[in-house]
Order: sequence, then C-alpha cells, then structure tokens
Amino acid sequence: MSVVREFTKGLYKQNPVFKQALGLCPTLAVSNSVESALGMGVAVTFVLLCSNSIISLIHKIVPAKIRIPIYIVVIATFVTIVDLSMAGFLPALHKTLGIFVPLIVVNCIILGRAEAFAGKNGIGLSIVDGLGMGIGFTIALLLLGTLREFMGNGSFMGIPVMNPGFEPVLIMILPPGAFLTIGFVLGFFNWLENKRAK
Amino acid sequence: MKELCKLGGLLMLITTIAASALAGIYNVTKPRIEAQKALQLERALTIALPSAPREAIFPVQDEDVILYYVGYKTPEKKELIGYAFVSHGSGYSSVIETMVGVDTLGNILGMKVLNQVETPGLGTKVEEIRHGDDAPWFTQQFIARPAGQVAVDKDGGDIQSITGATISSRALTKSVVAAYEKLLADKAKPN
Repeated sequence: MSVVREFTKGLYKQNPVFKQALGLCPTLAVSNSVESALGMGVAVTFVLLCSNSIISLIHKIVPAKIRIPIYIVVIATFVTIVDLSMAGFLPALHKTLGIFVPLIVVNCIILGRAEAFAGKNGIGLSIVDGLGMGIGFTIALLLLGTLREFMGNGSFMGIPVMNPGFEPVLIMILPPGAFLTIGFVLGFFNWLENKRAK
Repeated sequence: MKELCKLGGLLMLITTIAASALAGIYNVTKPRIEAQKALQLERALTIALPSAPREAIFPVQDEDVILYYVGYKTPEKKELIGYAFVSHGSGYSSVIETMVGVDTLGNILGMKVLNQVETPGLGTKVEEIRHGDDAPWFTQQFIARPAGQVAVDKDGGDIQSITGATISSRALTKSVVAAYEKLLADKAKPN
C-alpha cells in the first residue's frame, strides 16, 4: 500500500513542478519542444533513481556534518555519466539540451529528494520515490513542452499539426513564453485544488 | 582533530570511488564521442562537395590545423572540382559553424551547418528541413551563388533571412564571405 502511495505522490499530489515548484530553471529552459522536454525528463529521472538508491544505501554511514558534500558528489557522478553517454549515443539531443545536462547537478529536486526521502528510508522505497518524482517531473515538462511547441511552432515532436496558414505565436517558444505558460498551468492547478477543497 | 581526519578521510574515499567510476565511463564513451564528431564531418564534406567522391577529398594542412579541403573527381587528383572550408560566425547565442563547398570560380556547391546553439524555434531554423524537403531551405538558398558576395535581403542581398532570426541569418551569411576570403588568402600562400 505504502509503495503505491510513495510512487503516485510524485505524479500529482506532490508533483515537483506543479506542487512543490522545484526544479523550475530546467523546466522553463528546455520545455520549448516536446523532444527536449522528454530528453530532459528521462535524464533527470535516471539521475534521481540512481542517486536515491545510492544515498539510501549509504546514509547510515554518512555523518550528518558532511552529508551535503557527499550527496552532491554522488549526484554529480551520475550527471556526468548521463552527460558523457548522451554525447556518445544521442549527440543530437545532447546538442539541444546543451548546458542543461551538466546543470542537473544543481536541480533542487534531486538534492531535495536525497534530503527529504532517500536519507531517511530504505532502498526499495527510495527507488519508488525517485521513479515517481522523476516521472512527475517528466509529465510536467511534457505538458509545458506540448503547449509551448504547439502554440509557438504549430507542431508536435517536430511534425507540423496545423495547416500551413497557421501563424505560430513565436513568443511561446522564447523565454517569456515559458513564464507565461508555467504561470497559467500553476494557476490552473491551484484553481483545481481550491475548487476541490470547497 | 580526530573527527576532522575521519570526516576528511570518508569524503576522500567517496570522491575516489566516484572519480574511478567516471574514469571508467569516460574511457568507454570517449571513442564513441570522437566517432560521432568524425562522422558529422564526413557527412558535411560529402554535402559540401556533392560531386566529389569522399576518397577524392583531401585536407590541406598548416602543421596540425586543417585550413581547407580540396575535392577532385577521382582519388588520383584528376579534375579539380572545388574546395571545402569551415566558416565561423557569432550568432545570437552561439558560434555558428558551417561547412561550405565552392567550385573553382567561388560559386557555392553545397553547405551544411556543423554546430549552432541558437534560439530554439528561431535561429535553429538555419537547419530546419521543411516537410517534404530533403535539405534545409535556408542553406539551400546559397547554392550556385558566389561565396564572396552572398548577403541577406536586409543587407541588400538575395538570401531570404529567417523570420525572427535576422542575427543568426546574417551571422551565417557573413561568415561564409569571411571564410571564403580566408580561403583565397590561404590558397595564395605557398605550401
């Protein structure tokens, strides 16, 4: 029962982007197309999964005083693995995501889950938590990516879905569009929550 | 003091493990990353000089630096087709690198963007392939035009710039002219 709960909480109830407003920097930066949103989501999920498992295994021998540097070393190691593998096997995606791959190190979702969950729980639950949070993050990026790519480029995954007469709203795939979209999406979820509470 | 050594030692142990793991991964991925880069260059060369077989394209080097490439019809260096060179132009958010091929008179034979990190959806359209086409429309415009004189429409030329990405369009176009002039200078140098 609690396994299911630990997994599903990341998807909606405690969604890292929509509910906790964590990791907004990469969310805003790479959600301009569905493809880069998906790539970023998968990369973060992988790092989260690996760092959560290692940290849940070593948290008992890690002294509280130096836990943060140790967590960061673990996270940075996995991020570098993702960065190198992506450059070798998916060069096109690596080029699109650019600087945002190494920057996963400072994505607060990852250190946040290490502190809030993996440092207190066993490996099994930590894996489930990492997977749930990672998928929740991916869902958030995909939602923003779909909306922004559709409005700003009239396409989905690079394939045009509007007739040629469609004039895309360019600003939606530029940085201001990211702020506009996330504002409306967060507003929508808050409205939904308020309505439910009544 | 004792505690300090314990904490420092543990930190060192963890970083050593991390460093060894990364060294292993680096060694595995390094040849693949290099192969990807080489493959990209190979593809660009065949696009820049479409009528020259790959075995008939030779680099011209100044010590370790490749200045430009010379393309012939046959690997025996018969019938000179033209030259290929890499141009660099500062765009909106990156340096746009383009492989350009020209014939002996300086008319462009083919072009391929090698590297750019321009604004997604705007500047990245220098590489956009329209639905149904097989080559990017922006660089296709350059073909058969004299490399020393290309200019975007806003500068009085006839290269149609990308809507919303004048800086990227202009940077790429100007870099072609500059790199062609460098080619002429390099060719004039005695080898």
